Amino acid sequence: MKAWRILLAIAGLLLLAFGVFRLLTEIPTGSVIKVAIWLLAALIIHDMVIAPSVVGLGWTLRRNVPDRGRKYLQVALIMIAAVSVIALPMIVLRGSQPPVKALLLRDYAANLALLIGLIAVVTAASYVVRVVRDSYQRSRLPGMEKGGRR
Amino acid sequence: MQRRPRWWPKFTSTLRSTALTARIGRVLGIMIGILFLTGLLSHYQYEPWRWLPIPARPIWGYRLTQGIHVATGIATIPLLLIKLWSVYPNLFRFPPIRSFRHALERISIAILVATALVQVTTGFLNVLNWYGFGWYFPPVHRFLGYVLVGSLLLHIGVKLPDIVYGLRARVAEGDVLTEIPWSENPASHSNAGTLPDPPTPGISRRGVLTAAGAGIGLVVITTVGQTVTPLAPVGLLAPRRWNQGPQRVPVNRTAEQAQVGASAMAAGWVLEVVGPRPYTLTLADLDSRAVHQARFPINCVEGWSVGANWRGLSLLEIIEQAGGSADSRVQVDSLEPVGYNRSFVEGPQVSAALLATHLNDERLDLDHGYPLRLIAPNRAGVMNTKWLGRIEILS
Repeated sequence: MKAWRILLAIAGLLLLAFGVFRLLTEIPTGSVIKVAIWLLAALIIHDMVIAPSVVGLGWTLRRNVPDRGRKYLQVALIMIAAVSVIALPMIVLRGSQPPVKALLLRDYAANLALLIGLIAVVTAASYVVRVVRDSYQRSRLPGMEKGGRR
Repeated sequence: MQRRPRWWPKFTSTLRSTALTARIGRVLGIMIGILFLTGLLSHYQYEPWRWLPIPARPIWGYRLTQGIHVATGIATIPLLLIKLWSVYPNLFRFPPIRSFRHALERISIAILVATALVQVTTGFLNVLNWYGFGWYFPPVHRFLGYVLVGSLLLHIGVKLPDIVYGLRARVAEGDVLTEIPWSENPASHSNAGTLPDPPTPGISRRGVLTAAGAGIGLVVITTVGQTVTPLAPVGLLAPRRWNQGPQRVPVNRTAEQAQVGASAMAAGWVLEVVGPRPYTLTLADLDSRAVHQARFPINCVEGWSVGANWRGLSLLEIIEQAGGSADSRVQVDSLEPVGYNRSFVEGPQVSAALLATHLNDERLDLDHGYPLRLIAPNRAGVMNTKWLGRIEILS
C-alpha cells in the first residue's frame, strides 16, 4: 500500500503543479485574481454558511422531531436539497436568454415545487405505511411493548 | 493532546462515519474521473493533433461523451455537497495544525475542496450561459481540472488507509466521524476492536446513501432530457428544450449576437472558395447543388444535443472543384466579424461534412446559419461554423 500511496501523491502533486503553472502562465492576471477570489469565496460560503446551516437544521430536527418520523423527514430533505441546488440557479436565470436558444424557458419554480411535492407525497406515504405496520405488529404481539421492535 | 477550549465545536451525531464517507467518496472519485476524461476528449475537439484528426464515426461520439460530461457534472454538485457534509467535523480538528505535514495536508484539502466547488459551479453556470464570473471559461476550466484531479490523487494517496478501512467496514458499523481523529478516540472501532454498531436514531447511514442516490437520480432524470431526447418530456429541470428552437433545434449563438444579420441576408451573398483553382458560389448555385442529405446530431459543448436532418452541398465536391482532395485541410470562415468565427476540417470529416442549406426540410433559419453552414458528424457544435462566407484549402 505504501508504494501506491507514494505513487498517487507524486502523480497528484505533479498534475496539481502543472495545472497551477498553466493557470499562472496562460491566463491573464486579472482573470487569475478573479479565479482566486472565487476559490476563496467557495470555501468560505461552503464552510461557514452552507455546512453550518445543514448542521443547525439537523440539530433542530433532532430536538423537535421524534426518531421514527425524523427518518422520513431527513430522507425527504436530502432529496429536496439535491433537486433544489440544481433548480435554484435556473429559477434565478430563467428568461435571461434569447428565446431561440431554447434555453431556460421552463417555469423552474413550478417544476421544483412539483418535484418537492412528489418527494413529500412518497416519503409521507412510506411513513404512514410504517406507522400502520408498527401498530399492527404491536396489536398482534401483545407481549411486545412500545418501541420493542427497534 | 492539548485540551480543546470549551467553545470549540463538538459533533455528537453518530451518522457520519469513515465507512459512509468512503462509499460516497468512491462514487464521487469515479465521477470526477469520468469528468476529467470526457473533458479532455472535448478539449481534443478544439485542439486536435494534426497527425490524429477527429474521426467522423461514430457520428454520435461527441454527443455521447459531452452529454456524459455535462450530465455527470450536474449530478456531481449534490454529491459533492453530501460528501463534504460527511467530513465536515474534520474541519474542526484540534489543534488546527499539529505539524508541518498536517499543515500541508490541510492546504491540499483546501485546494481540493475549493477547486471542486468552483469547477462544478462555474461549469453549471456556463451551461446556463451565465458568464458573470468574468474569465474566459474553457482554458480556466481545463487548468482547474488539472488542479482538481491532481489534488484528488494526492488526497487519495494521503487517505488510502482510511479509504481501505472504510470500504471494508460495514456501513452500520464503521468508526463515527467527529472532530476527534479516530486514532485518538478510544471508543472507535479501529481501536477497540469489535463494538456494537453505534446507534443512529433518525435516518440511518444506509438511509443517507439511499436518499442521496434517489435525489441525485431525480436530478439526472429531470435534466438529461436536454441530450437524451426521449427523456425530454420529464425534463422538469432540463436547461434546454430542443423542440422549442427554430426548426426544432436550439441555437447557441444567435444572428443578433453574432452581428451577421445584414451580411447573411444580402442578395449578393457569395461563397468564396480559395484553393489552386479559386471560384465563387452564389445563392442560385446553392439551390442546384444542395442534393446531399444526412442525419447528424448537433452536439453542443454545453451538453445539449439533438439529431436533425440536414441537406446541402458536399464539402468534398466543393473543394475538389477548387483543386483540393479528401486529404486536404480546410478552413471555413464565417461572416461573423468577432467571436468563434472560424474552424478547420481535416481527416475523415472532410469527406463526411456537408455545407448545409436545409435543416429538418426547411431552408436554414438565419439563427442556424443562413445561407450556408458547416455540419459534420462527431464534431463539437461550435465548430460547425455558421453564416459561411469563405472556404480555403490550406494543404
